[in-house]
Amino acid sequence: MDTRISNIIENKEDALRRVRIALLNILEDTEDARKIAVDERNKTMAILENLTDGILLLDMNGKVEIVSPMAREFLKKEENEIVGNNFFDLVNDEKFKELKELLKEDERIKAVHRKEVDVGDNLSLEVSSIFLKAESVDKEILIILHDITRDKLVEKMKTEFVSIAAHQLRTPLSAIKWTIKMMLDGDAGKITEDQKDLLEKTYISNERMIGLINDLLNVTRIEEGRFLYRQEKIQLEDIVGLVVESSAELLEMRKIKLDIDVPKDLMPEVKVDKEKMSLVVQNLLENAVKYSKEGSEIKIILENKGSEALFKIIDKGVGIPKNQQERIFTKFFRGDNVVALETEGSGLGLYTTKNIVEAHKGKIWFESEENKGTTFYFTVPFVKKSMNEK
Amino acid sequence: MFKKILLVEDDKFLRELMSKKLLSLGYEVSTAPDGETGIEMIKSEKPEVVLLDLILPGINGFDVLEKAKKDPETANIPVVILSNLGQSEDIERGLKLGAKDFLVKAHFTPQEIVNKLKTILE
Repeated sequence: MDTRISNIIENKEDALRRVRIALLNILEDTEDARKIAVDERNKTMAILENLTDGILLLDMNGKVEIVSPMAREFLKKEENEIVGNNFFDLVNDEKFKELKELLKEDERIKAVHRKEVDVGDNLSLEVSSIFLKAESVDKEILIILHDITRDKLVEKMKTEFVSIAAHQLRTPLSAIKWTIKMMLDGDAGKITEDQKDLLEKTYISNERMIGLINDLLNVTRIEEGRFLYRQEKIQLEDIVGLVVESSAELLEMRKIKLDIDVPKDLMPEVKVDKEKMSLVVQNLLENAVKYSKEGSEIKIILENKGSEALFKIIDKGVGIPKNQQERIFTKFFRGDNVVALETEGSGLGLYTTKNIVEAHKGKIWFESEENKGTTFYFTVPFVKKSMNEK
Repeated sequence: MFKKILLVEDDKFLRELMSKKLLSLGYEVSTAPDGETGIEMIKSEKPEVVLLDLILPGINGFDVLEKAKKDPETANIPVVILSNLGQSEDIERGLKLGAKDFLVKAHFTPQEIVNKLKTILE
């Protein structure tokens, strides 16, 4: 009996010893895992602490879990004021209005990729918010705030410089224009035919320079993002008509026949900046004329595409070389064949044109074959009729 | 009949060119090289029309225009802006302040400017 009991006890003790060893092993592993986790955490925190971008990590409900020092600085709050609180309560201030609106969709945060917002105090941020898939918790949201104040400032200075330079250049150009014109008008005494011829050529060169300055000013306006002025409801037919009318002289000079085809029924109105949209039509028409042979034909077609107007201009000109078609809308680009053909042109026309069309939520594209001709297309959405207008 | 025109323009050469053109066509011309003088001369000379530049040393053209239009003594004198600004905002601002017309220097020849003045003087 005694030996049996002592046998059982011995067995139990043995089992307990084994359990103890196993437990110690587990504890040891846990301790190792804990150390690794702490190391990882420290690493992550060290990265966060030293990042120049602001980082916020939120849980599904928008409660802030982690905030980096830069993010604290952007929000102008201490860590204990941020962590544990709802993100949207933190950005309730008027100056964060734009940021809040950007991130808030109904009651939840939406994914955002590199959007710019101004948050007061002359601070501009580029915001991204990303949903993280986490192993243990539901889902977390990472918000990255990148300071772009300086970039914006440099960009602004650059466009301002071009704008001021262009305006400054206009004064001496006006003086040259006025002087030559007055000499041509005989205001400074009679001139000979030869002198007249030279002065006329100088006048044309100077006009080109004035045109170039205008192009440059337009480009800076595009880059400042304040290009479109007042948009009014108008028929696209009218804009095309006016531009064609004002180009009569140019067409006659090059002996080019222009054919215009508009839909029988008046199309719905488009809402556009009239001056800029005229510039689009004018640029495309001038290009077609410039790069067509004398006596050639150009056709303009307007079509009603239901929700938008389609403008087509078909020429039988020199075309755009295949290998250069991709770059046709880039600033200062000019095709090799047209550089050889016609020395003038700033390479800004199509860049400006594309920007204007896209600012009106339209599309622009083309088809072209060298020495056969080019067709440019652009669309402008019609003004949607509201219910009571129907 | 000699019509009196006041030219407010800071660039000496442009001022000379425009004066020459106007004088040759039989107008009477007075000139002001800056905004201050411009305002004073609008009051003292009572010209029949003012050709006004916008970017001027001291008081700019917009302010000159505003002052001239606020003063009942000079409010009826037509002002034509002749400037190298010419963005839609500038044009709208000038016309809102009461300018008769807005001409971009680089886009008009002296004769074309005179033609505009003629239509206003008629």
